[in-house]
Amino acid sequence: MAAESNGPAVAVEGLNKSYGAVPALRGVSFTMPRGGVFAYLGPNGAGKTTTINILCGLLRPDSGRVTVCGLEVSQEPVKVKARIGVVPDESNLYPELSCGRNLDYLGELYGLTREARRARVAELLALFSLADRAQMPFRALSRGLKRRLVLAAAMVHAPEVLFLDEPTIGLDVPSARALRQLIRRINQEGTTVFLTTHNLAEAEELADRVCILIQGRVVAIGTPGEIRSRVERGTYLRLGLSGEAAAEDLLSACPAVKQAQRQNGLWRLEVAALHAALAQCLAFAEARQLTVNEVGVERPTLEEAFLSIVQQGQPPEVGQR
Amino acid sequence: MSQMTRALAIGRKDVESYYAKPPLITWALLFPAVLMLAMYLKDPGGYLAVAPGVIAMTLLFGCTSMAAIVVTFEKRAGTLRRLLLTPVTPQTIILGKAGSAAAYGLGTSLVLALGLGLLLGMPQANPLAFAVGLLLAAAAFSLLGILASVMVREVFEAMTLMNFFRFPTLFISGVFMPLETFPAWLLPLAMLSPLTHAVELLRLGVSGTCYFAWPWIPALVLAAYVLGAWWLVVRGFRRRAGQ
Repeated sequence: MAAESNGPAVAVEGLNKSYGAVPALRGVSFTMPRGGVFAYLGPNGAGKTTTINILCGLLRPDSGRVTVCGLEVSQEPVKVKARIGVVPDESNLYPELSCGRNLDYLGELYGLTREARRARVAELLALFSLADRAQMPFRALSRGLKRRLVLAAAMVHAPEVLFLDEPTIGLDVPSARALRQLIRRINQEGTTVFLTTHNLAEAEELADRVCILIQGRVVAIGTPGEIRSRVERGTYLRLGLSGEAAAEDLLSACPAVKQAQRQNGLWRLEVAALHAALAQCLAFAEARQLTVNEVGVERPTLEEAFLSIVQQGQPPEVGQR
Repeated sequence: MSQMTRALAIGRKDVESYYAKPPLITWALLFPAVLMLAMYLKDPGGYLAVAPGVIAMTLLFGCTSMAAIVVTFEKRAGTLRRLLLTPVTPQTIILGKAGSAAAYGLGTSLVLALGLGLLLGMPQANPLAFAVGLLLAAAAFSLLGILASVMVREVFEAMTLMNFFRFPTLFISGVFMPLETFPAWLLPLAMLSPLTHAVELLRLGVSGTCYFAWPWIPALVLAAYVLGAWWLVVRGFRRRAGQ
């Protein structure tokens, strides 16, 4: 099959995989458009790593069809591997080799010429702020720097699709943040990103499409907004007013507000319609000559939506395939 | 870039990571050199009887020292997964790993042979037989080492398995005494050992004589070992590497 340049980055159709009698994937189907960040979420044992291993050509499915960059993985695994980069959940570069030599060696395996490797290694070490550690053995790096070099190693051949399996696991806050910035930059430069993570805030920050897997089945797929909209609780408006006001007055003046509660000096208002409620609250404050010193909107987070979906077990699928 | 070039890259990296280490090189050379020196001092005229066997033994230990554990070791370290994610075939990986093991075994045994030639005057009656023997035995031994590595899950299991192969083999392969002096019941076992055939080819190379009437029999047996081991390693690697 010829590689398509306009089709989806990844297309998975009816994927099944069992380990003995234990099913790991049960009829998994999804498509991942080019250019975006696709978050593949699920609790432990949901089948995320099995899916990645199949997509990367490390594992054969029992049945189903998987294409990556238009190439069927089971038919052309070597060609697929040449077009993808993978950051596994473990930092598995060669501990005895220097940072530069690790990148150079992988460049060699991806078929880069000596000159191309030299230029690419220098470029990546600079991009990932590792230039001053080029000669340092991989084992001597801190955990955060190791993850950074693993990400650089996955980019050595400028892949079309980058698979990230728990990229920030075990990192401190600054290192995780720096890595997320690099992932965003890589994506902005045109690389499609397939991300698995247990950090829902990270998925919410990076992904433009989310797929949730439970017990080997896809139970939700869509944009983060579509997934969040599945949470039954409403939207909350956080409002800080300079003077006193009674909840009853606020509720009668603002019909779009369903419930009003005082919390730590702020009003927490459950609203039916955000725009209308905000306008009514501002009018209420003006009429009472109160100063609005804080306004905020609390929407259901992706984490809340994820937990809600996991608690529901296996609800029907939503969103667009 | 062909898979062959990638195999060379894997082999070069393995030499850098595992074989080009002073302790490994000195151990591989000192042990046989001291053994030969002791035999020479005991009987200056008789050392030639065991020299081909000691060179073959050096080759066996050199080729299998890391090969026997490399796949299991890299699987544990996670670096095998890294390698499997690159656009290389299982055959390329096996070729690279066996190639580096064979290069190390060949290097140490050639240094020993050169030392014996220069210092003790070891002759070269049939250099072609000697070269063919070294090359075929290096290929067979390194593939057998990798076979041990893909058959087990733990490094210590691979080492145990290899030791159960290497040490008994030394005693049934004519390393320290010629096959002509073997009891009849031991000869069939000796014929099964690849080390026997390596020793006989090297003996032909050094002294111009060997146990077999048709001297290319050991070469054919070693070639069969190479093909058989390759087939088994590819099968085992495919089955075990991804686990």
